[in-house]
Amino acid sequence: MSNSTPAQNKVESDQPQQQKPQVLEEDDEFEDFPVEDWPQEEAEQPSGSANGTNEHLWEESWDDDDAAEDFSKQLKLVLPNLSMHCSDTY
Amino acid sequence: MGTLATEFRIAYNNGSGPGLAAVLTPIATRDDPDRLLSFYNFSNPAYLTKDLNSSFFHGKNPRVPKAEQHAWVDIFAAYWEAVGEILKWEAGHPGASAVAIFNAWKKVANAVIRGYSVQSGLPAWSLPCLYTVGKFLRTFAIKADLQVASQGSSGLDFQEEVAADFEKNATLEDAARVINRMFTLCLSDRAPIEESRKWGIYNTTNLLFKTYFKINSVGLTKNLIRAIKAQSDDLPPLDAFPKSHIVTFEYYLGVIHFLDENYAEAEEHLTNAWRLCYRHANKNRELILTYLIPCHLVTTHTLPSNQLLAPFPRLEKLFRPLSNCIRTGDLVGFDKAMSAGEEEFVKRRIYLPLERGRDIALRNLFRKVFIAGGFEEAKDGQPPIRRTRVPVAEFAAALRIGTHATGRTRVDMDEVECLLANLIYKGLMKGYIARERGIVVLSKNNSAFPGTGV
Repeated sequence: MSNSTPAQNKVESDQPQQQKPQVLEEDDEFEDFPVEDWPQEEAEQPSGSANGTNEHLWEESWDDDDAAEDFSKQLKLVLPNLSMHCSDTY
Repeated sequence: MGTLATEFRIAYNNGSGPGLAAVLTPIATRDDPDRLLSFYNFSNPAYLTKDLNSSFFHGKNPRVPKAEQHAWVDIFAAYWEAVGEILKWEAGHPGASAVAIFNAWKKVANAVIRGYSVQSGLPAWSLPCLYTVGKFLRTFAIKADLQVASQGSSGLDFQEEVAADFEKNATLEDAARVINRMFTLCLSDRAPIEESRKWGIYNTTNLLFKTYFKINSVGLTKNLIRAIKAQSDDLPPLDAFPKSHIVTFEYYLGVIHFLDENYAEAEEHLTNAWRLCYRHANKNRELILTYLIPCHLVTTHTLPSNQLLAPFPRLEKLFRPLSNCIRTGDLVGFDKAMSAGEEEFVKRRIYLPLERGRDIALRNLFRKVFIAGGFEEAKDGQPPIRRTRVPVAEFAAALRIGTHATGRTRVDMDEVECLLANLIYKGLMKGYIARERGIVVLSKNNSAFPGTGV
C-alpha cells in the first residue's frame, strides 16, 4: 500500500478493530481500496495504451527453443522400428 | 459528543461526504481512542434527541433544511444506541452480543435509508455515509453469524445441526436485504445527474456482490446486473466513476462470468479491472490475476510471464509449475502439478479451466513431433515445406515420452487416435487422420497448429 494516501489514517484506524476477538477471515475477498480514486499514473497500466505495457506479461504457451533437437533424438530412440514406415508414406 | 458534533459540522460545512462518513464510522481512531466512549457519555436516552439537535444544528451553522436535520438526528440517535452496544461488547459486559450490535446498527442503516428517501432529505454528496453504514452492517452481520454458530453448535442433534447449517448466514442474509434497499435507493433516484444518488450505484452493487458471494448466492447477482443494464441509458459512463468503484465492479463481474464458464467475457472484465487497479493494492491485484490467468489459458492459450508472477509468491506457487509443464508438454508433470494444487484450485474455483491446460500441454507435445519431423525436400527454389504427413506412431512415441512411460507400458494406438481427434475437434490441430495408412495429414501453410506459427 502507498505511504502517501490521504486515507491512510482511516486505514490504520481499522486495525485495532481487526484484532478484536473474532477476526473476519476474509481470505479471498476483494479489499476496499485505501483511496477512492487515483490518477491514471497510479493505475496498473499507466499510459492508457491498450496493449503496449501488457504484452510482456503474457507469453505464448509453447517454446521453440533448442530442446527441439533433443526431442527429435528422443523420439527416434523411442521408435527405432518406425523410421521405415515414415519413409514409406511419401 | 462535543468532538463528534464538531467533526460533523466541519464535514458538513465543507460539503465533504467522506468527512461525514468518517464521523459515522463506528470505530475509534488512533488520534482519538476514546471517540466512541466520549460520544456515548455525552448524552442519555431521555435527552438524546435534544442534545443531538442542539450540538449539531444550533446557531444555524450549518444551515440545514428541517427535514434533513430530522434525518441526521434520527441517524445519530440510532448511532448512539449502536455505539452503546459496541462499548458494552468491548467492555465484556454480560448482556453484550454481536447480534445486539447488528440489530442496533441495522436501525442506523434504516434511518439512513429513510433519510435519503424522504422529500428534501439527505443530499447525494453525503452518499459515502450510505457506503460506510452498509459496509459495517455487513461486517457486524458476519460477526453476529459467527457468534451464533460458535454458541449453537454444541449439543445439537443431527436435525438441529442441519437446521443450524441452513441458518448459519441468517444475519448476513438479513443484511443483504437492507443493502439491497440501498442499491434500489441509488438506482431509482430521478434527480438530475449532478445531484443524483446514481453515483452510488456501483459502490452499493459491489457491497451486495461481496455479500452474495459470502452467503453463497452468486446467482442473485444476476438480478443486480440485469437491473443495472435496464437503467444503463440513465447512468453516467463507467469511466466517470471513481476507479475504486469500477475496479471492484469489474472484478466481480469478471468472476461471475468466470464461474459461469464464460471465459471470454470474464477475461474482458478482469482485464479492465487489472488495467485500472491501484498499483499499490497488492491483495486485489493478486485476486484479479488469480482469475485472469486461467482465463488467458482458456481463451488465448497464453501463460503468465515471470515478470507478471514475480511480485506474487502465492501466484508463483499456484501457477508456475503448471505453466512450465504446459509449455514443455510434460503431461506427467502437469498431472502432478494439478493434484498438488488441487485443494487450492478447488477452493479458488479455478480447477476446471486450469484442467483445460492439459490439452494445451498435449498440443505442445504433438507440435514438437511436427517440428521434429523436419522439412520436405524443397522444390526448385521454393521455400521448404514442413513434412505434413506424420505417422500416428510418432505421436504415440511422443506420448510415451510425455507420460514418462517405461519400456513395457504400451501406448494404445486407439487412444492416440482419440487424443488426436480431440485436439483436431477443439481446433488446436488442423488436419485429419488417415486411419488405413496410419498417418495424420496435417494442414499446410503454417496452420497445422493454429496460432503457434507452424
